[in-house]
Amino acid sequence: MEAVFIQNLKPFLDALAEEFELYVPRKTGEHYVFERYDPAETNEAELNNIRTCMPVKEFLFPLRQLAAVMPESTEPQDVKPFAVLGLKDCDLRSIAILDMVFKEDEFLDPFYVAHRDKMFIISSDCFEPGRSCCCNLFDGQPFSENGFDLNIAKVRNAFILEAGSEKGEDFLKRHEGLLRPARPEMLTERQKARDKTQQQLLQNTAEYKLDSPIKELMDNSGESSVFDIEAERCVECQACTRVCPTCHCFYLYDTKRENYFGKMQMWDSCMRLDYAKVAGGANPRKILGERLKHRLMHKFAYFLDRYGVNMCVGCGRCVDADAGGIDIRKILKRLNEELNVKAAK
Amino acid sequence: MSQNPYQPINAELVDIIDESPTIKSFVVVPEQGIKFETGQFVELTLPGEGEAPFTPSSSPAISDRMDITIMKAGRVTDLLHKCSKGQQLGIRGPYGNGYPLKDFAGKQVYIVGGGVGLAPIRSLFLTIVDRISEFKSVVCRYGARTPQDFIYKNDLFGKWQKINGVEIKLTVDNANGDWSGNVGVVTTILKPNDVDIEKAVAVVCGPPIMMKFVTLKLLDFGFKPAQIYLSMEKNMSCGFGKCGHCMIGKYYVCKDGPVFTYEQINKYDGIWD
Repeated sequence: MEAVFIQNLKPFLDALAEEFELYVPRKTGEHYVFERYDPAETNEAELNNIRTCMPVKEFLFPLRQLAAVMPESTEPQDVKPFAVLGLKDCDLRSIAILDMVFKEDEFLDPFYVAHRDKMFIISSDCFEPGRSCCCNLFDGQPFSENGFDLNIAKVRNAFILEAGSEKGEDFLKRHEGLLRPARPEMLTERQKARDKTQQQLLQNTAEYKLDSPIKELMDNSGESSVFDIEAERCVECQACTRVCPTCHCFYLYDTKRENYFGKMQMWDSCMRLDYAKVAGGANPRKILGERLKHRLMHKFAYFLDRYGVNMCVGCGRCVDADAGGIDIRKILKRLNEELNVKAAK
Repeated sequence: MSQNPYQPINAELVDIIDESPTIKSFVVVPEQGIKFETGQFVELTLPGEGEAPFTPSSSPAISDRMDITIMKAGRVTDLLHKCSKGQQLGIRGPYGNGYPLKDFAGKQVYIVGGGVGLAPIRSLFLTIVDRISEFKSVVCRYGARTPQDFIYKNDLFGKWQKINGVEIKLTVDNANGDWSGNVGVVTTILKPNDVDIEKAVAVVCGPPIMMKFVTLKLLDFGFKPAQIYLSMEKNMSCGFGKCGHCMIGKYYVCKDGPVFTYEQINKYDGIWD
């Protein structure tokens, strides 16, 4: 189906809300958050210019969930179909990464799959990139070309809709009454807006541009003191892993309930001191700098080895969230400089 | 079987054997037989309390019950030690890769164990002994803190010593009572001519510090890193390479191990910690 356009968001959102639990972006302070859409509300939803504060993983892999029950086993509960409007390309790439982890050929996490199968993705183009946005440094771009069910882009007086999946096509077909074919000048305008955002991003991130592939920087980071130096400012709040859309560490713990024993699954953080500690007391990463390094090695070397892609999408959430001002872009730039010095010798 | 990888199979604790002041063996009967390869591990749940990884110490030839030897080392193991016969438990697994027996065929198997590290080795030992003709011989070196700290005492001092093709030497860190054997850490009873290094593999399991010094000694003797098999103890939680706790470098110990050759992991920090 060719691109179409709508003049107003509300009828489109109402149509979505009839089929799905719909989540839309809302500005809260300087950030966007997702909120459940209520058709009865008079306020029209707005499109977010950049990604939300919290990562999309919350929809697919809840902070805490019941993973098993004893002595009688349980299966994942039915998840109602839900739609999320305003996901950005970095979000879609983070979903692709979580899919690699939790939907591998030989391994399916039934809880993840239960949520993933019911998710309807409506991505939207970025405009006015945030100060921490850096997807372009990590092979990303500020608009989506795949990975969505529908993509929406605001142009002057309209919103262009495009389907990226069968589910998306079907939805548009069912609501043809709301839609009109996009005019060529609208698509030109969309392209112009995309180019402009891309340019802004390039400018904003120019100082962090790297000369070597990140894997090479990490592989050569053995002697670097950058991790220990940066870790001096870390207050171990674990916000970086909390807001990271690709961090997926979790821990399992057991609970007693009135009628059953439960095994809970909850997000965890590799920045936590006791994260890797064993019962006998041994701990391979007692030093904070070692944990910071491990986190980055996992993102840029180990994950790449195993799955063929970097585990960072350049959303910049960790930069925004970090109380100590630890900045992944600066660490990589520093490693880049160190490697350049080494090469010059 | 449940498709939920977090769901344990219910199991009953049918027997408890006191091995040493801090170590007990638990005989567990799962509702469904659990087939495993020697060296693989399981996650044992004490319902409502917690879960921890253990390598079964029984032979994989037996799937309807499992021996799990457990040292009191933390919260979950302390609670397990307080359990009585009849306690309901849960088992997930088996997980990971065990000892690659086909690579051991025709060779001398040089087994070095320390403390509760004999538990996984017992499973390997029983497996090899069942098929002893496939291997050149088994040379076993095992150390415990004191004579009371040896586990599987009846077998260790009795029938295992008499098996054709098996040679066992023991040591204690500190002697007491009527111990007349060697006194010293396990590296003091390792000798360069214990085995024909060219045609041998070494299997090491014990506390991290012991594994480190045994590995260094074996390298000194001329073992190549690829000939040394280590059973790594890390914080394995999920068991299938997702939760992240047990990572050593790019490896998930739970999925890619727990048995590694030293060659696989020697470039990573923290392997002995």
